[in-house]
Amino acid sequence: MILFAVLGIISLFFLIPLIWVVASALRPASPLYEYANPLTWKSFVPTKPTLENFVHIFVNLNFGRALMNSLFVSVSTILLTVIVASMAGFALAKFEFRGKAALFTIVLITFMVPFESIVIPLYILIKQLRIDNTYWALILPGVANGLAIFLFRQFFSEVPSEIMEAARIDGASWFRIYWRIVLPLSVPAIVTVIVMVFMFQWNSLFWPLVATHSSRFEVVQVAIAAHRSTENTSWANLFSSAIAGSLPPVILFLFLQKYFVRGISGTGLKG
Amino acid sequence: MFRNNKVAWLFVLPALTFLLVFKIWPIGVSVIESLTMTSFTGTKSFVGFENYEYLFKHDPVFWRSFSVTLFYSIIVNPLIVLTSLLMALLLNSSHFFTKFFRTVFFLPAAISFAVVSVIWMIVLDPYNGLANSFLTMFGFKPQPFFASPDQALWGLILLNVWRSSGYWMMYFLAGLQNIPETLYEAAEIDGASTLRKTFKITLPLLTRTISFVLVANTAFNFLSFAPVYIITKGGPMGSTNLLMYESYKSAFVNLDMGRASAITTILLGIILVFSFFELRFTRARFEY
Amino acid sequence: MRKLLLVMVLLLGVMLSATTIEVLWMGWPQDQVMQLVNAFKEETGIDVDIQLVPFGQLFQTIEVRLAAGDGTPDVYIVDGPNTASYAARGYLLPLDEHFSDEEMSAWFDASIEEGSYHGSFYSVPYGTSSAGIFYNKAIFEEYGVPFLPETIEERLTWEEVAEIAKKLTKDTNGDGLTDIWGLVIEQIDRPYLIFPMVQSLGAKVLSDDGLESQGYITSDEFVEGTTFYWKLFNEWKVSPQGLSDSAISREYFGTGRAAMMLGNEWNLRRMLQYPDLAYGLSPFPYFEGGVAVTPTGSWHVGINSKTKKLEEALAFTKFITGKEAVITWHKLNGIAPARSDVYEALPEVFDNPMWQLFVKEMETTAVPRPRTPGYSQYELMLREAFNSIHYGADPRSTLEEVAARIDRELRKYR
Repeated sequence: MILFAVLGIISLFFLIPLIWVVASALRPASPLYEYANPLTWKSFVPTKPTLENFVHIFVNLNFGRALMNSLFVSVSTILLTVIVASMAGFALAKFEFRGKAALFTIVLITFMVPFESIVIPLYILIKQLRIDNTYWALILPGVANGLAIFLFRQFFSEVPSEIMEAARIDGASWFRIYWRIVLPLSVPAIVTVIVMVFMFQWNSLFWPLVATHSSRFEVVQVAIAAHRSTENTSWANLFSSAIAGSLPPVILFLFLQKYFVRGISGTGLKG
Repeated sequence: MFRNNKVAWLFVLPALTFLLVFKIWPIGVSVIESLTMTSFTGTKSFVGFENYEYLFKHDPVFWRSFSVTLFYSIIVNPLIVLTSLLMALLLNSSHFFTKFFRTVFFLPAAISFAVVSVIWMIVLDPYNGLANSFLTMFGFKPQPFFASPDQALWGLILLNVWRSSGYWMMYFLAGLQNIPETLYEAAEIDGASTLRKTFKITLPLLTRTISFVLVANTAFNFLSFAPVYIITKGGPMGSTNLLMYESYKSAFVNLDMGRASAITTILLGIILVFSFFELRFTRARFEY
Repeated sequence: MRKLLLVMVLLLGVMLSATTIEVLWMGWPQDQVMQLVNAFKEETGIDVDIQLVPFGQLFQTIEVRLAAGDGTPDVYIVDGPNTASYAARGYLLPLDEHFSDEEMSAWFDASIEEGSYHGSFYSVPYGTSSAGIFYNKAIFEEYGVPFLPETIEERLTWEEVAEIAKKLTKDTNGDGLTDIWGLVIEQIDRPYLIFPMVQSLGAKVLSDDGLESQGYITSDEFVEGTTFYWKLFNEWKVSPQGLSDSAISREYFGTGRAAMMLGNEWNLRRMLQYPDLAYGLSPFPYFEGGVAVTPTGSWHVGINSKTKKLEEALAFTKFITGKEAVITWHKLNGIAPARSDVYEALPEVFDNPMWQLFVKEMETTAVPRPRTPGYSQYELMLREAFNSIHYGADPRSTLEEVAARIDRELRKYR
């Protein structure tokens, strides 16, 4: 079908550089441009595929530890953020209250300021709170996520208020309404926030370097970035760790695909 | 809308606490910082708007950076939103290949911006990169890409679109799930074409998602600078010197936190203005 | 002497075995650094919590950590020229009283100079560097150009190098694009490699007090040297523009896409990645009628001025910059040690004529980068200027403009 063809062409754009990187990671360490110029089929299919680059980073460079750390931090942040942000998003979407406009502005501002401008005061703060060099230092600041709140607000505002009114008449508490009605109807939003928060934590590089310094906290992006320096860049290690480090977000996305289901259509209220 | 101060604030309190402690407080410190100048021995003195004044009146590098950043934003923001929306619309189906393509489009987003920058630095290498190898294979002239002041910014735009489209596509896919199938069925009975369905049903009902993606994407693009840091370092000739990179240099190289914070405060203002108009625009156009 | 040091370190270790110090280090291959750290832990019993920061984030991370002002990290890696900046801001502990004259004599003079500021010694030399012209023998043979001289007495002039580069810039397949470049500069726009060019003509790159660039980077000699640099890319076109990463430059040379490379001593190790490459090393060129100048300087080690664990921090610093550790580190990593006794201890490595050449340069022609508390901003702005110049901007006007901006930054250090 035409759709398939169009999608196929678009995906070439995304895939070509990636396939080249994967092929390079599966080759024994070789000069960078050997397979870029000139371009042949060998550029994309390694003639002597080997897993040695991957083995090296896991066995000798403790890449597994970095993956575990990032996974732990990401999952912890997700658990906290989904609860906290969805509650706030619910209030912003469905309630009128004093100070609402100010609050909404605050929520927006928090993601319009770059991390670099707050890193020093934030670092001094976590030192004062005595959570520096702990997992808390990596997790807690990540829960302060205005974008997640904004997203929930957008999605919740589409949940029909009639359902909530009906439940109120039946005597349900607001928390029950939030927990039992609104959240289940917003599975796509929750899934999206899960991916959003996961990737935010997964991709952070600078903050983990500042907030923690013991090597037992090393996160995945630090492990990847370590392979580049002026004096010595290891392309093989860089490519293999980049690929290995990109798999968890992809697996997560793949796994969560099935939750992109029509959420509200079955409520029987419309039409 | 329900009126209830107490309940609303209870729901908001946990998030607000986190935001105040870990975001608003440091942001406040940073804004105050923009009103000070620090001597190299560490003594801070309050100088009011002097940092801003210098930027606006005596700093041609700032103005050049400002215009580069504006140009970049005006192109890259709509471009990314459009491509990700288009991709989501194309994949808003349940063919056997849908899941596969969704994942493929998402793949670049799974890689951090820093690594993506390194990859594109290699792909767009002027003499030996993949891109030029392809071009010459088909008989085109090789291009300088990041080595040319006219092309470098477009290289950044390309890199950004490559990496971000799949990511924002995910948000649109989520938003599309909320549109009841029944509406499409009814329209089909009336004989509506795909295009008509898209414009009359899909887009209007996607308004909130569109505004979300617009605002979030705008903020992201004003604030990120990894490709500049890794590949172009603001060059050639300042053609990719984004404001955020200027701020970063001020903070960590020039050790001039005052100027750095002044620039990011200005950026915050710009983003708020853009967001205001974006929210306005989407509400007026699509809500019914 | 060595035995005495060992005993001292052991005694200290016994006394302090329960303490942990925090060290911030560059993210060199983990397995290499940890070898040294573990050796220290075993020898002294002092625990080391070492953080390996990737190079791209190193300086920012140091700045943020030091900004908290609580004495951590206890020991941190210092890029030689940044010593002045950290020292001026009170981030480094003065070390004069902790190092005996005998200990100080181990290091090269240029290194000690780089680690000092306003007469005090602040950062301990760890590595140093030198540079020269690496050339691809196969390419020279193919085009019938005689090999470059490899002894310090027969140093080439830049004019001669330019001529050779012109002869070896080739379009091998007739498609109008250069396939072999005459000369590639490893770090294409870094002042590190360009300073010696202008200094060869007699230019000074900064005022003696380190606070003024106007009149120095705008002097005729500086402009003249920079114009030669400009011509490499824009007039003779023997050098490719836009190589944004030193690894890419090395790639060009290693894979035969460049006949010559102006590069650092670490290439003696890096070029091992290209087993098919047959190369030679020629001394860093100078200008006809000018002086021979080579670049130098590299990593140092500093102690936090507010450290609460001075004894342990000193023990670690002395260990890691001591002869044994530096020997191990060179074997693992290949960079030039800053202490002369290491060269004597590894004849199998350093009796090689290429290393001999570098050592001679370090002893006779090396000029360290200028010392100024504003080094990082001075270097970055100058680098941006060189970057614009290599893309074609006019040298004189670009340098004039950047001098004004640099001096505005440096003014705050008066």
